[in-house]
Amino acid sequence: MSAVDVVAFTATPKRSGSSISQRIWRLAVSSTEFRIGLVVFVLLALAAAIYPEASGIDPTHMNVRARLLEPLFIGDHWSIAHPLGTDQIGRDMLVRCLVGLRYSFLIGVATVALMLAVGCALGMLAGYYGGMVDTLIMRITDAQLSIPMIILAIAVLGVSRPTIPAIILVLGLSSWPVYARVMRSVVMNERGREYVRAAQIMGASNLRIMVGLIAPLVIPPVIFVSVLDIARMMIFESVLGFIGLGVQPPTPTFGNIIADGRKYLLDAWWIATMPGVFLCLTLTSINLMGASLERARHRIFGGLA
Amino acid sequence: MEILSFLARRIAQGLVIVFLVSGLIFTLLRVVPGDPVRLMAGGMAPEALINEIATKMGLRDPIPIQFMRYMGHVVRGDLGESFVRPANGASTGGSSFDDSTRGARAKVLDLIGETLPMTLQLAGVAVAMALVISALIGIPGGLAPGRWPDRLAFYVSSVFISLPNFWLGIVLTLLLSVKLGWLPAIGYGGFAYTLLPAFVLAVELSPVLIRTLTGSLASIMQEPFIAVGAVRGLSRRRIIANHALRNASVPLLNLLGVQFSGLLGGVLIVEYIFDYPGLGLLTINAVLQRDFPLIQGIAIVTSAIFVFINIAVDLAATMIDPRLEY
Amino acid sequence: MSAEPILRVRDLSVGIAGNARPILADVSFDLAPREILGIIGASGSGKTVLSRAIVNWLEAPLVVTGGSVAFKGRDILKLSGGAMRATRREIAYVGANPMGALDPTLPVGPQIVEKLHAVAPEIGREDAKRRVITLLDAVRIPSAATRFHDFPSQFSGGMMQRALIVDALVSNPAFLVADNVTQPLDVTVAAQVLRLMRELTVSFDTAIVFISSSLPTACDAANMILVLDEGRVVERQQKDALVANPTHAYTADLVANTPKIWTGTTPPRTPPVGEPVLSVRGASRSYHVRKRGSFAGTSEVRAVRNVTFDVHAGENFGIVGESGCGKSSLMRLLSRLERPDGGQILCEGVDMATLSGRDLLAFRRTVQLVLQDPFGSLPPRTAVGAMIEAPLRIHGLGDSKARRERVVAMMREVGLSPELYDQLPLGLSAGQRQRINVARAMILEPRILIMDETLSALDQAEQFKLLALFETLQAKHGLTYIFISHDMALVRRTCDRVAVMYLGEVVEISRNERLFFDPGHPYSRALLSAIPTLEEKRYRTEDCLLDGEPPNPIDLPVGCGFAGRCPNAFDRCRVESPVLMARGNRDLAACFLVEREAAPVLEEALA
Repeated sequence: MSAVDVVAFTATPKRSGSSISQRIWRLAVSSTEFRIGLVVFVLLALAAAIYPEASGIDPTHMNVRARLLEPLFIGDHWSIAHPLGTDQIGRDMLVRCLVGLRYSFLIGVATVALMLAVGCALGMLAGYYGGMVDTLIMRITDAQLSIPMIILAIAVLGVSRPTIPAIILVLGLSSWPVYARVMRSVVMNERGREYVRAAQIMGASNLRIMVGLIAPLVIPPVIFVSVLDIARMMIFESVLGFIGLGVQPPTPTFGNIIADGRKYLLDAWWIATMPGVFLCLTLTSINLMGASLERARHRIFGGLA
Repeated sequence: MEILSFLARRIAQGLVIVFLVSGLIFTLLRVVPGDPVRLMAGGMAPEALINEIATKMGLRDPIPIQFMRYMGHVVRGDLGESFVRPANGASTGGSSFDDSTRGARAKVLDLIGETLPMTLQLAGVAVAMALVISALIGIPGGLAPGRWPDRLAFYVSSVFISLPNFWLGIVLTLLLSVKLGWLPAIGYGGFAYTLLPAFVLAVELSPVLIRTLTGSLASIMQEPFIAVGAVRGLSRRRIIANHALRNASVPLLNLLGVQFSGLLGGVLIVEYIFDYPGLGLLTINAVLQRDFPLIQGIAIVTSAIFVFINIAVDLAATMIDPRLEY
Repeated sequence: MSAEPILRVRDLSVGIAGNARPILADVSFDLAPREILGIIGASGSGKTVLSRAIVNWLEAPLVVTGGSVAFKGRDILKLSGGAMRATRREIAYVGANPMGALDPTLPVGPQIVEKLHAVAPEIGREDAKRRVITLLDAVRIPSAATRFHDFPSQFSGGMMQRALIVDALVSNPAFLVADNVTQPLDVTVAAQVLRLMRELTVSFDTAIVFISSSLPTACDAANMILVLDEGRVVERQQKDALVANPTHAYTADLVANTPKIWTGTTPPRTPPVGEPVLSVRGASRSYHVRKRGSFAGTSEVRAVRNVTFDVHAGENFGIVGESGCGKSSLMRLLSRLERPDGGQILCEGVDMATLSGRDLLAFRRTVQLVLQDPFGSLPPRTAVGAMIEAPLRIHGLGDSKARRERVVAMMREVGLSPELYDQLPLGLSAGQRQRINVARAMILEPRILIMDETLSALDQAEQFKLLALFETLQAKHGLTYIFISHDMALVRRTCDRVAVMYLGEVVEISRNERLFFDPGHPYSRALLSAIPTLEEKRYRTEDCLLDGEPPNPIDLPVGCGFAGRCPNAFDRCRVESPVLMARGNRDLAACFLVEREAAPVLEEALA
């Protein structure tokens, strides 16, 4: 017993009785970083949910008379009705950003859900059965990991038509290997545990052990970490939009707004920069939460996995 | 001897990976809708001509046959010819009708050969910058878990990872290049043109490195041999420099191997933003022009580089930590 | 011992910053040159903190709240960092975790040189290296000059502990603190290390503070014993006096609870000779691990080699051996978690390997297993009742009401309050948890219960209670037990017949009395000699065990696996592997020395 253990032994008299995922969650939520992220995220989410309809402004509505308005209080050509200004054909930047945020976030969440489902299922099989199953699945993940996913995505979306389901499918199917790998290593570790052996000796079937015993233990921590990937996928979505392979105009997305604004960069800097600030703020809030969860997981697992 | 058999095994595995990747991309490109010949020959070309060209190029054969034929060429070092690019340089537009089958078209291998060194230079500078940034922020963070350097590392990595590379590229161009005129940004006219794109890439690359370095260093510092080092009479500086950093560098190295494909994705976008004449720009154009042989060739070359880098990384990691198996 | 003490600890108190409760309170003692002082105490008694305090190696939040540690007249607790580092040349420390003590990414030798250079910069690199190799040789690390360049992961635990003793002694320290150094080691290896330490103090003129949680181990190492309880020194006596007349309650308990092997009062039970319920016939199991540095080659670890024995109905059969001997692999075969890749295991006449599907499920009701780890073997976040009920549900036995009744009855039987039915197993002791495990195994009414180190996580008192429970269950249900254990004392108390395993083979099968009083295999004797007890030893390690390590199971030596450590080995042992041979009264041993007694009539003896 090391000195640190001695201290832990005397300072925390009782083992906490909650599950690992609850402990991770509580540790993460108690951090300042997580709370900052949460507050910012909730504010942005509320704005995105309410403002576009509440303000009655159509994100695709053109108004040539109100074109190229600057953001509030910056310069001398602004209007209180358009807090973030307007673009070259007079569309309201704020509403466009908020609607873009909706698409971005929904695509991000759906993509991550898809990645999780595929990755966890394959990782579970590989980790649990090992042997040939494992080798096969791991070779596929290796191959997938060796192609930059963005190349894969633009290759597919470039030749087919970029619709929302296609974007989700392409992004989701190109990023699951990471989850498969994580899941595989955790399941392998879990598989050697005594409670699994105890279940086997009771006569429990493999399916029962995987779904009933191992999955509830190992999947929640993986879901926590996947929060970070929501942000990552939102970036990819915006990248696709930027190179013209995302959700197509007139639907506003961060990517296509910035691509548009780039043409007017010297005259109207805000068209390209404002959506970026918005996106960056959203991503930072998600990343703060995600990284807090990941850090908590790391601490509770003691550096394992 | 151990190293040789390690190399043999890994190269064999690598070939399998490259083969799988080629198969995957090949199938994908032919399964998704969109006829490349239509694009090549131009929208105005009559149907009969398109069919003729396609048949001549073997594009109407079953996919496995096409693939095996293609791989047969690849094995002999022939990655084929671009659909749209003429050998003399500038790419041809696809909308007008001109019979590009008649003119000499550029060899895929040559196109890649011209652009790859540019990209390697960019990537190399970016990785170096990222390592410096991560070391400066990550090491103090890892040595003071829970205190301000750790928090700083946390916030910096959270913000960096939230900056979309294309947007950062635009903003930095606007600021540093257009407004302040410190650095050149668009195109390539010397080494200075590499700096801004490389910095954007470094910002994209460093958050994960910072996080890994902070995390692994913090957990290495908890290892018994670090504490025992003190009672064995080693100074703290020596323990950190000789032992902690050495151990913490292993996960960092592995990460660099894994991050390679992420880096390449970033290169793509950054080259596009900065109009940097590298492999990334070539890829984007190839995709936009549906230049199948070129996409295919790029995929093979990048996956081969991926395999190579990962072998190198594993070799280096094994040299640092002998417990890792060859 | 009239010399001036080299270490004088006075009123040493240690606490946690911001916490009034002391971890150590007013500890005082002296250490004379060349003395070996034993310090014992339970876990949590503060002995590890004491071991660190006297080498001035406390880490936050632990702080010295009073007292002094004077080394050669100077209070080292007041030394600055630099001055303390210089003093480390004189003060050495060896801890309980040999495998974690050195940087795994660097070779062992250079790290010891690095340490020597840090505390004694005037010694040149070449000299330092020579000195380290000489010492590695002195602690009997074979081919020291080559091993110098090996990495920590290439050392076994015992070998590493020797290397760390070198690391400690390389600067010729005046005293050495040894904190639980033998704890992680197997008994025979621990005995070798202990013997080595005793020799070295003489040749190096080094005093030792030997800290241990085991009274017998401390008594083996030291003459004077200091007993620590709740941070205070509660007793200090010469070891013989301490064992004979312990004054403090804790010490008395410790002495009383130290198992006795030869002078115990356990009346040997006559083993029932029922039908064989489990017959192991030449069972083998190998695992393939990837061979380092080969293209696609694998090495074979032969974990279980050609094991043959019968377990009879109603019997308590023991399987003992040290770590890596194959007993866990054998357990997995016996419980049909894995199939043997050679030979057969028959359960009530049926070859277990052929079972699958429904038959396998039925077989699970015959043989059940109780595992080692009382925490890891229970599914988290499941109520106690549901846990015990799970096997019934899996096997589709009874409706929910009948199941509940059966579970409650079973809980009563194993001594768990039925009130626990709906509760989570939080806060339950290891003993309670093992009762849950026993109940969960018993609920299927098996005929054979395999106990895989079931009791090793429990303290003496709990062990006794559970053993009593096992006896009751056996009497009531006619159970057959197979105990798998590394603990000879436990085996002595519980088993009728014992199989001793070494390197995947069964080297001896004997009745309890015969094994402990007249072992047939030299390895059994070595094991017996290494048991930590306070009794007059029947066998002395010095006579029973040579220096040396158990061979690597990947490169099994030709001949007898134990030959390298066996004092009785002769030429034949190194070229030919002995098989089990009868030595009368159905006892068997795999040793050529037995051959003189009887011929190899294995099948007859088993019948």
